[in-house]
Amino acid sequence: MKNRYQQLLITAVFALFSLTVLAQGPPITADKPIMLGGGSFTTKTLMEFRKTAMGQFNYVPIMLHYLPTSNSLVAIHIPYITYDLQDGSSGQSFADMKLLGKYQFIRIDGTGKTFRVVAKTLQTLPTGKELGVMELSSGLYQGYYGLVAGYESLRYGISVELGFNSIPQGDLDVLQHKLGFGLPLLKPQYPNRQINLFFEYNHQWLWEEKGYMLLYAQGIQYARKNITFDLAYQIPLVNDMPIQMDFKRSLFLGTRFTF
Amino acid sequence: MKTYILSFMSMLLLSSSLFAQNSMDFFEVQVDGLGCPFCAYGLEKKFKEFKGIKEVKIDIETGDFSFSYPSEKALSLKAVVLQVEKAGYSPMKTSIKRANGTTETDAPVNSDLSDIVAVVSQDIFVYGNCEMCEARILKATSRLVGVTEAAWDSKTKLLSISFDEKLLNKDAISKAVAAAGHDTKTHKTGAATYENLPMCCKYERVKK
Repeated sequence: MKNRYQQLLITAVFALFSLTVLAQGPPITADKPIMLGGGSFTTKTLMEFRKTAMGQFNYVPIMLHYLPTSNSLVAIHIPYITYDLQDGSSGQSFADMKLLGKYQFIRIDGTGKTFRVVAKTLQTLPTGKELGVMELSSGLYQGYYGLVAGYESLRYGISVELGFNSIPQGDLDVLQHKLGFGLPLLKPQYPNRQINLFFEYNHQWLWEEKGYMLLYAQGIQYARKNITFDLAYQIPLVNDMPIQMDFKRSLFLGTRFTF
Repeated sequence: MKTYILSFMSMLLLSSSLFAQNSMDFFEVQVDGLGCPFCAYGLEKKFKEFKGIKEVKIDIETGDFSFSYPSEKALSLKAVVLQVEKAGYSPMKTSIKRANGTTETDAPVNSDLSDIVAVVSQDIFVYGNCEMCEARILKATSRLVGVTEAAWDSKTKLLSISFDEKLLNKDAISKAVAAAGHDTKTHKTGAATYENLPMCCKYERVKK
């Protein structure tokens, strides 16, 4: 019960906070509904160094995103993972490959502002080792279906994601809610040169295991015309998960380049 | 002799440069949906598909996007509008100043007004601060049928507007500007509309 009050309080705090901050640049651990022009490519990586009760995992994905049109996106994520488990085993392997698709179906534009909503699916293929670590390497097929909405203006902005991750052969189905917003430390300008702070929240409800987790990521981003460098540190604010899935912390290092 | 050769070369360069400038068409587009600098990059990147594009400028606060393009390629207004849409943004008003001196626009202000016989010019005092205010004020006036020309000066706060007095009057213009968020001497913006203005646009309101 105490946890529920804690969750409500945290949700209320960041909902209020989101009304007063400015938002710029693409979020780091959350997602965004804005797409940068049909026919363009973006290469990305977002390395994650995650510590859980099971051990240490170092995840290195290479991502290629392509926008066939101004309102659609397809992407492939090819990851590699190294691990060092508490039981003494360690190793490295190819992790679960992912296919991403997005379709923007709502776009309302104004001067210096926009509101957009996209439908999103992320298909995780069982190409990785069965490490049982969520989002990284489970060796199981997973299908994620969600919606991402975002309002961006020169005054403030916010992006929200709600989705469900289904694992037909496992019992780790997750209902997920992400909220991200950022604070530019420099005045918005073009050609862009920005340093942005990010505040990102990730709620996860384990559907069958009845677990709950709220993660908070504090990030900083340096952005130039078509490239960004990202750094984020993620910790659990609420951690009510099965003991073997106990999340300790994650460090993210990333970069993206659009061409 | 050396001086003559240098002078001749300089004149040759200057004349070729002037010739090159004269053979460029100049495009201006008011683009909605540029919520961040990365959006502006997406727009510019899409227009780089037009080989030969020069002098690209984007003001993310006002959504003003302009560029030059070789006139011999005869880039059409329709193609520009389509390209903005392909980039994922909303073109609101597009105009072209051709190298031969002609202009083209898709703004409603000039589209159906070929039979204008009673155009008048007036000044209206409009509160505002910045370029975003200017874009908002001009956008509000451009939607009014009968307006032929409008400009707002952030220093004097004067909206200089020309319109067909058979179709429009000063009171209706003032009302439209106030509805967009900017007080005039005769019409006040609603409190909610004023509160929704960006911080930089929040002008000091005069209490009655």
